[in-house]
Amino acid sequence: MSAAPAASPAAHGPDGMGEPSLVALDRVTFGYGRSTVLQDASFAVSPGEFVAVIGANGSGKTTLMRLALGLLRPSSGEVRLFGTPVNRFHDWYRIGYVPQRASIDATIPVSVDEVVRTGRAAHTGIPRRSSAAEREHLDHVMELMGLDTLRRSPVARLSGGQQQRVLIARALVTAPNLLVLDEPTTGVDADARVILREALAHLVTHERVGVIYVTHDPEGFAGLADRVVEVQHREVVPCDDPSAHGHSHVEPDLEPDLEPDLEPGAELGE
Amino acid sequence: MTNPLAFDFMQRALVAGVLIGAAAPLVGAFVVQRRQSLIGDGLGHVAFAGVGLASLFAVEPLVGALGLTLAAAVILGRQGRRPAADLSLALVFYGGIALGLLFLSRAGTGLNTLMGFLFGSPLNLDWGDVAWIAGLAFAVVIAVVALYSPLLAVAFDEEAARVAGVRVDRLALALTMLVALVIVGGMPAVGLLLVSALMVVPIAAAARIAHSYRGTMIWGSTIGAASAAIGLLCSFWWNLSPSAAIVLTAIAANIVTAATASARGKGAVS
Repeated sequence: MSAAPAASPAAHGPDGMGEPSLVALDRVTFGYGRSTVLQDASFAVSPGEFVAVIGANGSGKTTLMRLALGLLRPSSGEVRLFGTPVNRFHDWYRIGYVPQRASIDATIPVSVDEVVRTGRAAHTGIPRRSSAAEREHLDHVMELMGLDTLRRSPVARLSGGQQQRVLIARALVTAPNLLVLDEPTTGVDADARVILREALAHLVTHERVGVIYVTHDPEGFAGLADRVVEVQHREVVPCDDPSAHGHSHVEPDLEPDLEPDLEPGAELGE
Repeated sequence: MTNPLAFDFMQRALVAGVLIGAAAPLVGAFVVQRRQSLIGDGLGHVAFAGVGLASLFAVEPLVGALGLTLAAAVILGRQGRRPAADLSLALVFYGGIALGLLFLSRAGTGLNTLMGFLFGSPLNLDWGDVAWIAGLAFAVVIAVVALYSPLLAVAFDEEAARVAGVRVDRLALALTMLVALVIVGGMPAVGLLLVSALMVVPIAAAARIAHSYRGTMIWGSTIGAASAAIGLLCSFWWNLSPSAAIVLTAIAANIVTAATASARGKGAVS
């Protein structure tokens, strides 16, 4: 694994000192066609910080995350990851991403172990097999997510909650400094929610992983989040009382149903 | 019964058929998971234009097919998976078959040779052809083994693969080029119109009985090779069209694995 990128002063934490923010969006504007989803939105997460991002369905939460991860290009403003502009960022192993989804698409059977290992796909291949330390970390992640007895099972046979844990394990397999979870409790049963909470608490407390937890349901992060922000009226604003933002809170739908392959000219090339 | 192996032409057909039958499903596994099952068919049309062009300039047909199919793979790779790509795909493919026919008729190619390109003529191969096919099949196997991990990541979840640092666009291009190699390698044995079946049909059969991606690939490769061998032997004993016998054997394998899967109580994979 390569060394951390040189920190750039512009993307340091809120006090402008010390370690750079894990992710920093500075006055970012983005829209789909004529509809502006985010206007001059700013958002940053410091190392080890747990930030919950709430907002009504269609408010732009997922768009905010996709901008933060370089999957979308803002029309104005700047996005930095670990102090590096996102288009020059290469240390992707430092980020774990759990996309929003209903279920795992397994046209072809795929085992839990195989899915989790794809999280490290950029770093493995025949020329470089995984080291003993990496295998040990894989075992640790499987245990943390309660998957150690399911490693050889085809994911299609797992429950929604188990599948979600598989995707979180995939995101954790490179031992990231930042974990981004988009609606992680969608289609997840109560038992899996408990495991997810325990795992997140462990990651934040013992491994100092920064977490961005995107949800429309404030229950999922209660007691875990250091800070809650809300995507509202095209901006990211601090939220003092997340419990006031339940399922009933509705904004005009600015965010189209996201189909990653169909966005007009918004995808980044290599 | 006559021993088919006593004949040189059967030895050559079996070597070529088994090699391409084993290699094609390895590429098919990724194509099927990416829901691009018909891309091989399309590239087959382009290869037909390449064969026509080669005939016009008295060049080896395989060389023409390989050149034009790889060029088409690069062009299609740049189009990505945007909605407009579907239409340009159709234009390239129909243009391919029309140009092929135009060139071949200009070159004064006879109907038998033309049928050989479209439906294969495995019993007419010389050892030079077999060496070509073997080279292409080995290149495909080596590339799939080397790129297995990132190919799986991209086939399974393109967006997460991108965030994990996988060069998604390059991998997609590599996969299309592998499809092109399989098409050209399979052309002499099963023909341009049926070679895609060797990529997709054994994988469909294998997906019903395997529990992992790797298992599906190994089973698919085995079913592909066995279908080629059994199909060729059937065609020898009962005077059948070899390529039809090969593909129908692979389809029969589908029926067998579907029955096995339902007997086991495992849901069928479509």
